[in-house]
Amino acid sequence: MQYDIQVTPRKDVPRWIAYGTPVFTVVAALVVTGVTLVALGFNPVEGYYYMFVDTLTTSYGLSETLIRAIPLIFAGLAVYIPLKANLWNIGAEGQLVVGAAAGTFVALNFSAPMYLLLPAMFLAAAFAGAIWGGIPGWLRAKWGINEIITTLLMTFIAINLLSYIVRGPMRGEDGNFPQTDLLPAVAQLPGIPGIDVNVGLVLAIGGVIATYFLFTRTHLGFQITVVGSNEHAAAQSGINKARVYLFVLVAGGILAAFAGISEIAGNQSRLQSTFEPGYGFTAIPIALLGRNGAFKLMLAAVFFAVLFVGGQSMSIAIGVPSALIEIIQALVILFLITAEFFKRYKVEITSKQQMEPSQKTATGGEI
Amino acid sequence: MASFTVLFLSAVVSAATVYVFAGLGELISERAGVLNLGVEGMMLVGALSGYVTTAITGNYWLGFLVGSLSGAILSLLHAFLCISLNADQAISGIMITLLGAGATSYFGQPWAATSIEGFPTTTVPVVGSYLAELPYLGIILFQNSATDFIALALIPVVWAFLYKTNIGLELLSVGEDPETADTMGVQVFQMRYLAVVIGGLFAGAAGAHLSLSFNTLWSSGMTAGTGWIAVALVIFAQWRPGRVVAGAYLFATFGALQLRSQSLSLSIPADLPFSGVLNGALGFFLDPSIMSTYPYVVTILVLIIVVRRTQDSHLAQPSALVQSYKRELD
Repeated sequence: MQYDIQVTPRKDVPRWIAYGTPVFTVVAALVVTGVTLVALGFNPVEGYYYMFVDTLTTSYGLSETLIRAIPLIFAGLAVYIPLKANLWNIGAEGQLVVGAAAGTFVALNFSAPMYLLLPAMFLAAAFAGAIWGGIPGWLRAKWGINEIITTLLMTFIAINLLSYIVRGPMRGEDGNFPQTDLLPAVAQLPGIPGIDVNVGLVLAIGGVIATYFLFTRTHLGFQITVVGSNEHAAAQSGINKARVYLFVLVAGGILAAFAGISEIAGNQSRLQSTFEPGYGFTAIPIALLGRNGAFKLMLAAVFFAVLFVGGQSMSIAIGVPSALIEIIQALVILFLITAEFFKRYKVEITSKQQMEPSQKTATGGEI
Repeated sequence: MASFTVLFLSAVVSAATVYVFAGLGELISERAGVLNLGVEGMMLVGALSGYVTTAITGNYWLGFLVGSLSGAILSLLHAFLCISLNADQAISGIMITLLGAGATSYFGQPWAATSIEGFPTTTVPVVGSYLAELPYLGIILFQNSATDFIALALIPVVWAFLYKTNIGLELLSVGEDPETADTMGVQVFQMRYLAVVIGGLFAGAAGAHLSLSFNTLWSSGMTAGTGWIAVALVIFAQWRPGRVVAGAYLFATFGALQLRSQSLSLSIPADLPFSGVLNGALGFFLDPSIMSTYPYVVTILVLIIVVRRTQDSHLAQPSALVQSYKRELD
């Protein structure tokens, strides 16, 4: 018997697919990762116990998760907002790095009371991030130069500049390592009373709420969504596409820069050339998982924070190489883009005989 | 001084090999309309699998073959996602790089502290020993490892393939206008698969060259961003094979200079005006980290210059780049 695969575009996405996709994606990624654990002779049940149960049931694990979630939420938003306009900010990593560097520079070179110094640091970070996101945004808005390429190129410029400044102009006095001095106590984000997490969390949640309002309550947010979903409709209704493109990438750059400076001022306390494990790239699966809304994005960021913290404890407890986290991230993206296809198209496997009449009506309807 | 120049140029030639492999592969894939941001990941997979094969069998030729093929196999995943499932090419590529980097770092750990015998320095067969005797050029061009020669030989092959064969021209056509190509009877999907797989094969070869010939070792993340430079290189070259090769040598020069800039200690004599400022600037621009940004900076500048000159960013790049192709549906 002969079988045929028939692919037809869907008119609307069934609810179970829309809601099931993120869950299915994460489960599938973890199952496949379990196979790689077995391949190196680890017990996946034990591994995932350390990764999830140990992380989510201890107060240390929980507070570490929230601390990690802060830069991930900011970085996720940095990809999410341009994505709404159908632009890919692949370079959140670079914007994050320049934000961290600019903020650290202010923290180490100016003395002021905390209520002035911290805002000044975030302002400096925002300025640097706005430039790093704004250049690709401007190139896209003015000349249509592909933002995927430019944000990516800008990232590698930023990473190498970081390595320059921590070895050269901003190198600390103590020790032989390429790193800056410790931030003074007034330049570090204070803790939230009662829990072992810094106020960066409040700022990150503020960013999520602001993004939510941007897209549900403001005209600008509406314009971004229109440009992202239908360029022709946007042009017809007189929306200035160039202005939207510039805005989303500048906003993305600022948010990514906040990820950088909140990681330095809230967690690491000094700038090093390898100060973070690629949060700017993790932002991509976060934004993909949470692309249906700012609050879902926050959940996705917390999920990846659990992976980072849990991956570390798994690595320490049973010696699994921590590169496993990268594999999980890649698999999450892999299954998400695969699921995207099944969201858009209905795939049916039919035997030749059953198919014929339905095909006739299909072609008739199409033309 | 002559010997310094000769050694320097010879270092440039061997540093360019990795860009020639990866850049030509990326070029073929992009000319067919598929952006491949997974080069770095494919290179790492090629580097590790080639290294492990050589370590086990002791045969570096087999290692090079397996490394190249592993790159091609990984690129099949990219091809399937982008061509058959219409996935976003940039995101699929980033995923491939994350997967390649993560998996090689995860599975490659036991191999990090081992050693192998890789490709030796050699001469071209038959006429090689005479060519190697040539003054200056002999050492620079004709005393290298076999993989360097393969890369040099690929340059005319790729050029002739793209512009002088039917398959090559069909491949270019699906990158420019897939709809028309399809109506003319070109197998759009097959052509794009072919281009992506050749790209993966070359990326794998680039990685295997690094671990078997350039370095003869495995360390996690050993490609150190050369895959990303290859992506920049193709844009810098405005999608033309000759310029990819020229760019490969230019970027390799940056790399070779970077390793030697500390020992060069260039400075402007103190009695000249502004010598302090100029020496400061010289120190900045010759700093290894600053020099690492050059490939990316010049690529952005090329993008801007080309757009300003033509007022249309899409003139130089394959018209259907980053666009998935779907027959009649949608």
